[in-house]
Amino acid sequence: MNAEPCIELISVSKTFRDGGREVRALENIDLAARPGEFVTIIGPSGSGKSTLFNLITGLTQPDSGEIRIDGRPIGSRTGQVGYMPQRDLLLPWRTVLNNVILGPELDGRPKGPARREARALLPLFGLEGFENAYPDTLSGGMRQRAALLRTFLTGRDVLLLDEPFGALDALTRRELQRWLLDVWQRFQKTILFITHDVEEAVFLADRVLVFSARPGRITTVLPVDLPRPRQSISLLSADLRRLEAELIEALEAANGAADSG
Amino acid sequence: MAHEQSTVSALPASAPYRSWQPLFFDAGRAVVMVFVAGAVLLFFTLGTLQLFNEARAVQNLTFADIFPSPREIYAAWQEFDTLLLEEHIPETLWETVAGLSIALVLGVLLAALMDFSRILRWILYPLLVVSQTIPTFALAILLILVFGFGSGPKIMVVVLFCFFPITLNTFAGLQSSDPELLSLLRAMGASSFQSWTKARLPAAMPSFFSGLRIAATYSVVGAIFGEYITAQRGLGVFLKRSYSSYQIDQAYLAILVTAVLSLLLVVLVNLIERLALRWYYTTRRAGWRGPGIY
Ligand SMILES: Nc1ncnc2c1ncn2[C@@H]1O[C@H](COP(=O)(O)OP(=O)(O)OP(=O)(O)O)[C@@H](O)[C@H]1O
Ligand SMILES: [Mg+2]
Repeated sequence: MNAEPCIELISVSKTFRDGGREVRALENIDLAARPGEFVTIIGPSGSGKSTLFNLITGLTQPDSGEIRIDGRPIGSRTGQVGYMPQRDLLLPWRTVLNNVILGPELDGRPKGPARREARALLPLFGLEGFENAYPDTLSGGMRQRAALLRTFLTGRDVLLLDEPFGALDALTRRELQRWLLDVWQRFQKTILFITHDVEEAVFLADRVLVFSARPGRITTVLPVDLPRPRQSISLLSADLRRLEAELIEALEAANGAADSG
Repeated sequence: MAHEQSTVSALPASAPYRSWQPLFFDAGRAVVMVFVAGAVLLFFTLGTLQLFNEARAVQNLTFADIFPSPREIYAAWQEFDTLLLEEHIPETLWETVAGLSIALVLGVLLAALMDFSRILRWILYPLLVVSQTIPTFALAILLILVFGFGSGPKIMVVVLFCFFPITLNTFAGLQSSDPELLSLLRAMGASSFQSWTKARLPAAMPSFFSGLRIAATYSVVGAIFGEYITAQRGLGVFLKRSYSSYQIDQAYLAILVTAVLSLLLVVLVNLIERLALRWYYTTRRAGWRGPGIY
């Protein structure tokens, strides 16, 4: 609990200028996550959530503020965190197995051991028997799991997941949420997780961050004190319902503030 | 019967009337096709007669001289098969394959250069287009007049015919790679060389093969054209000799062999493509069987 934050943002702001128009995407974001923490991020469309991830991965530079990973400012370095974008972006010309070892391959690690490691994890990720399949032949849920395995196998301690279950049906989604908690507990990763789904945000998180509409700001931090493991928790649990109601209220307040401001 | 009734009852009330429509369409289509076929036939018959009359006026040729029967062509093949198989076809094939290979390397290299730097693109692109707009034929003749009789100049003609579609298609393929995918690779810490080899090049492969297919189609004709201008061996020489001695059946034979060689080359390219791009044909186009032999 008293560990150093492994990822830290200090009053980070980002404004996009295209043409004469200015889009204030993020304003004064302060954020810190402990090692092994699960943080979900929720907010209206266009509130700068994906932009936040682009800043942490080093793809874009903030206008002001600082981003630190393990206490060191990242500057313009990339490849420090595992990143799973909104689309799965699997390489269509590679089999599942060769897709998931992309991270180690880019790091210049030998492919043999990477493949062995990946094979060992295939059952856990529900991809057993599909290692030689091409991504286009897989179902949506499987593609997401393959993209997640690729993100896990980068070997980074911090994982950024941008709406990983956004395009799935309710049942598959539910199943993958439980499964993700399982995997997360086993590997002790720090996860930042973007979602549009209130239930999902509460069910997964240690903390929920609520973003306001443009300019994106963190308006509420909602600690989720549900006991873990939660895989078997009932959807109708009173605690869960109460937290969801609180979160919806916070979301509405955040939107209202942006409308009047 | 029961099954048929159930399908009929599922149709809207106007179904009995509608069910006549396909018949009308079919009849209409048949009439149009008869007219088109008739017009095409008429055109070729008249054209043939015209050609024949003109040829006869000049050379006193009979109809059979200008249009040999398949049997005569086969006889010509029997007469010349060893000469063709041992001397002319190997020469033409060698020039074609060598030229196509050089065009492949050159085309990919040019595409990569244009993809790599915007300045190079500005310099190279107009040059490439111009290289195709000045009549390739004029350039080819110049090449052969300067470099002489050997197979070298013919290979250069093949390269000239073939590199352009390869360059253009490969370049388009390289430019079409998914920007989000490239961002992901960068976020994962890939160098620009790595994103080139791991994402852009493989993504360009389907386009590259379309270019190669077009190039393969042109390549044999390129070689024969080069030989026709001046050479000691090759199908082009055979063709030229046939014409100059009014051996029209031999000329037809040469044309037929050329067509077969071109077709074989294209089939070979398609075969390699199928093997190399298994991902493209097994998944992206589920149900679609690709270009077949064309
Ligand atoms: N490269 C860019 N250039 C200009 N504007 C941008 C750029 N990237 C993002 N924006 C703008 O910044 C704002 C925030 O975008 P962002 O993608 O971060 O939103 P988001 O919270 O992820 O939305 P969603 O929930 O729909 O994914 C948007 O208004 C968007 O138009
Ligand atoms: Mg987004």
